[in-house]
Amino acid sequence: MLHLCGKPHFRYSCLMFLVWVFQLVGLNSGFGLDSGLNQSLTYIWPLPCEHTSGNETLTVNPALSLSIIGHGGSFRILREGFRRYKRIIFKFSSGISVSRNSRRIRSLYDISALRIIVKSGSDELKLGVDESYTLFVDKTEGKSIVWETIIEASTIYGALRGLETFSQLCAFDYTTKSVQISRAPWYIKDKPRFAYRGLLLDTSRHHFPVDAIKSIIESMSYAKLNVLHWHIIDTDAFPLEVPAYPKLWNGAYSKWERYTIEDASRIVRFAKTRGIHVMAEVDVPGHAESWGAGYPDLWPNATCREPLDVTKNFTFDLISGILSEIREIFPFELFHLGGDEVNTDCWNETRHVKQWLDKNKMKPKDAYRYFVLKAQEIAISKNWTPVNWEETFNAFAKNLNPRTVVHNWLGPGVCPKAVAKGFKCIFSNQNVWYLDHLDVSWDEVYYAEPLEGIGNASKQELVIGGEVCMWGETVDTSNVQQTIWPRAAAAAERLWSTEEALSADNNSVLQRLQYFRCLLNRRGVQAAPVTNYYARNPPSGSGSCYWQ
Amino acid sequence: MLLFSLKPHCKLIFLVLLLWVSLLVDSNSGVELDESLTYIWPLPSEFTSGNQTLTVDPALSLFVSGKGGYSNILKEGFERYKKIIFKHASGISLFQKLRGIRSVYDISELRIIVNSDSEELQLGVDESYALFVAKNDGKSIIGEATIEANTVYGALRGLETFSQMCAFDYETKSVQIYKAPWYIKDNPRFAFRGLMLDTSRHYFPIDVIKQIIESMSYAKLNVLHWHIIDEESFPLEVPSYPKLWNGAYTKWERYTVEDASEIVSFAKMRGIHVMAEVDVPGHAESWGAGYPDVWPSSSCREPLDVSKNFTFELISGILSDIRKIFPFELFHLGGDEVHTDCWTSTPHIKQWLNDHNMTAKDAYQYFVLKAQEIAVSKDWTPVNWEETFNSFPSKLNPRTVVHNWLGPGVCPKAVAKGFKCIFSNQGVWYLDHLDVPWNQVYSAEPLEGINNVSEQNLVLGGEVCMWGETVDASNVQQTIWPRAAAAAERLWSKREAVSVRNITSTILPRYHYFRCLLNRRGVQAAPATNFYARQPPTGAGSCYEQ
Repeated sequence: MLHLCGKPHFRYSCLMFLVWVFQLVGLNSGFGLDSGLNQSLTYIWPLPCEHTSGNETLTVNPALSLSIIGHGGSFRILREGFRRYKRIIFKFSSGISVSRNSRRIRSLYDISALRIIVKSGSDELKLGVDESYTLFVDKTEGKSIVWETIIEASTIYGALRGLETFSQLCAFDYTTKSVQISRAPWYIKDKPRFAYRGLLLDTSRHHFPVDAIKSIIESMSYAKLNVLHWHIIDTDAFPLEVPAYPKLWNGAYSKWERYTIEDASRIVRFAKTRGIHVMAEVDVPGHAESWGAGYPDLWPNATCREPLDVTKNFTFDLISGILSEIREIFPFELFHLGGDEVNTDCWNETRHVKQWLDKNKMKPKDAYRYFVLKAQEIAISKNWTPVNWEETFNAFAKNLNPRTVVHNWLGPGVCPKAVAKGFKCIFSNQNVWYLDHLDVSWDEVYYAEPLEGIGNASKQELVIGGEVCMWGETVDTSNVQQTIWPRAAAAAERLWSTEEALSADNNSVLQRLQYFRCLLNRRGVQAAPVTNYYARNPPSGSGSCYWQ
Repeated sequence: MLLFSLKPHCKLIFLVLLLWVSLLVDSNSGVELDESLTYIWPLPSEFTSGNQTLTVDPALSLFVSGKGGYSNILKEGFERYKKIIFKHASGISLFQKLRGIRSVYDISELRIIVNSDSEELQLGVDESYALFVAKNDGKSIIGEATIEANTVYGALRGLETFSQMCAFDYETKSVQIYKAPWYIKDNPRFAFRGLMLDTSRHYFPIDVIKQIIESMSYAKLNVLHWHIIDEESFPLEVPSYPKLWNGAYTKWERYTVEDASEIVSFAKMRGIHVMAEVDVPGHAESWGAGYPDVWPSSSCREPLDVSKNFTFELISGILSDIRKIFPFELFHLGGDEVHTDCWTSTPHIKQWLNDHNMTAKDAYQYFVLKAQEIAVSKDWTPVNWEETFNSFPSKLNPRTVVHNWLGPGVCPKAVAKGFKCIFSNQGVWYLDHLDVPWNQVYSAEPLEGINNVSEQNLVLGGEVCMWGETVDASNVQQTIWPRAAAAAERLWSKREAVSVRNITSTILPRYHYFRCLLNRRGVQAAPATNFYARQPPTGAGSCYEQ
């Protein structure tokens, strides 16, 4: 009865057409617009890799119960996840009164229970953790028809992805005032295309309060993004507490625009309960002027403050000290060491640094390599896999630690070169995946392909995924979500769904993306209109969320 | 020991200076506060403060007394503010706490006394409160904070003020209250402190409306004017006329009766009234999506057909249905921007006008007055946009509240004729006017041009209006805030306190601070000093300076 199939639409198009006609007749709504959705499309974002659906509409009980079958672990994360999604699904007051409900409780609804079967109860969250799941909304034929909803997954994180998909199947129906699942039965078999699906947040150019970061993480889970790349520190501010070097966060903008280690731990824990890794970045040796607010010795001199002084042991002691302290906070195996945009003029112009270079027979370029490699060693000694921006690879590929993950940003074609040399790679080509570039439209984001130019399957596997980058110069708490969304969702589908499933039909993708944008709005995320040419622009006039 | 004074700063300057110097030594971080200012927004009407810094126990307990002390509104409010105050994990370990549990903190208990047990929320409900925060004086076992209010709503305002005194200190990793002891005696200057939200030009999901209401409570705004319906869409369910919400944009961009009730009760929990608006006879084209009979003709769709009984039956039906949802005594009937061309160009209406010996202008008056009668018959006090007053003041129901918008000088005329008035001069208080900087919003004075005290009393207050053409769920909060806060202080605080010279040095630092407070609480308040509202920050920098 159930078929696995990458493109189920054709088989169901006839049924779907009937459903669509039925809905048109059933609903007169749509002032100036026919509000029926194009039912040949599947409004799940990102699109699952395999799915089939039917033509029945089911009601879901607001008192939906959960049963978990599995071994090991407390399933606390899963239970919390279920409660979270239940709140999302049943936002609206039911039109069915409590008294009616309590009199005939089970029979009123088609679906009253959700069963989750998990192979492992372990809550370990590593890169490449199994995020696959299957989701059935199906009936068992007995004396009477009973509908069952089952999520099967290897890990609790796969089950969380299944819960997200389940929540997107559920929609509040304003006519019956109940939550419904249309097009049942559903059979969904899903897994991510890439293990690494990231979003960079820059807390140096502007400080984001912990609540704002949590909102961003929460919204990432809706699009099945799974890595928050936390660019904590930069030239402009050093907001993080480092207990061993307590003056470092003197580099914060103010005494309130800071993160304690408890704040950082909370953020990591919050992310983990949503199956999201937090990859911290400490960008060296450039982009580090703010370190010197507390420890001016790190500056080449008081007037020439970047990059960090390469000559002093103190510089590396400090890096080692920072990494030791934050290793406990950030359990994720990847750690970002930056290494981008290093302008070595200050080294050349500062007498003691210049002398040191001469003594060690180094050009500034050599000292840059020396610095990066030394930082890599420190990270590796803390059992971290180093990630570096592509300049390090472009400048001295053969010296980089072979475990290095190369983080592309300058343009296209870098991951092909990196994987050809055996490095892992993260795709973030700034022309398409830098969210601070406001003139990149949603479809340019969507059609960017991380594997472009890489034909060999074994090389393809070295591309661990991609990341959209939200640099912070012109975003703060007031507009960060509207700058991230909905374009981050375009990248999220690229990173999750199979290449074959991604439609080349711009218009059908747009309809689904507009639907997802409205879903984000309903969930309280400030996703901007999809079709404005410039990102985060206000709507151009009055109108529906579903067409703006 | 406690002195009531409007200007306590002079006496304390020396102490404050000491405190400020010690803060400078403690922390090298860039931005510093001017400690001579009081970072409570809106500014309380009377307060004194001292020079102590007190720590607040994350396990702060509530002790209530008075007839209204056991109110659920109060209990939930306390829990809400506790979450806000103790957002950050405490640096003081559980172990430390267990060893010397009470002694670690100066303030471990909040005592709230509420004199009245009535939870009725009507215009002019007593929102006054007194707040006292002091260290253990050695006589009692624990230090405490006390809020005393006549109603739970006054107590909620006191809780907001208390929450603004509490700040997380990053050095000690504890919540502290600076400048204690505090004695605050506070009450609002105006009873009506509104924000208008337009859910017709764009639909706002329930969660977004709740976020807006929540953020209003931080600035002590107390009326959500819900402009539910307009010509673009009719999102509200009206059970007696089930086709009305066919005028919604889509089948998902709607509010059920239950949604609307939930919004009203969510607002009530925060001491906020919801004033609904059903704007007639203009701005109503969307009604005809379900009931085309209310259009003059299918090609000329506004204003509502004045000639048909059905039109007024429908209005009466809507008002009957939603009267149950909106208990607030004020109800807005619109009446603005009525272009009567469709009446004079549609034959059956033209005929009706002739039969009744009416000009189109007469028919406008006829319509508005008839709608007023319906609202009054449902025990509502009608509010109308100022065009109704400008056109036929002598005919308006004397209970009418005139809602100013077109420009300055209208409230003076309205109160001179004995009407109540709400100030919303679009030149300063229309939030969709993006080119009005914060200081113009702040300096707008609802009582300007009204000198007679009894006439001043007729000005209920004012309202900032967030018309919806270019705001949706993605940017509404950043368009509302922080400018709505500028109006909020104007409406709450004493006129002398807000009518100061040199607001750049006296008010702006406090305004910046409040904007950052909103951000910390998850409200997307935009940078304060950009010339155009809701513009992104111009570059990297601190919230406290942008």
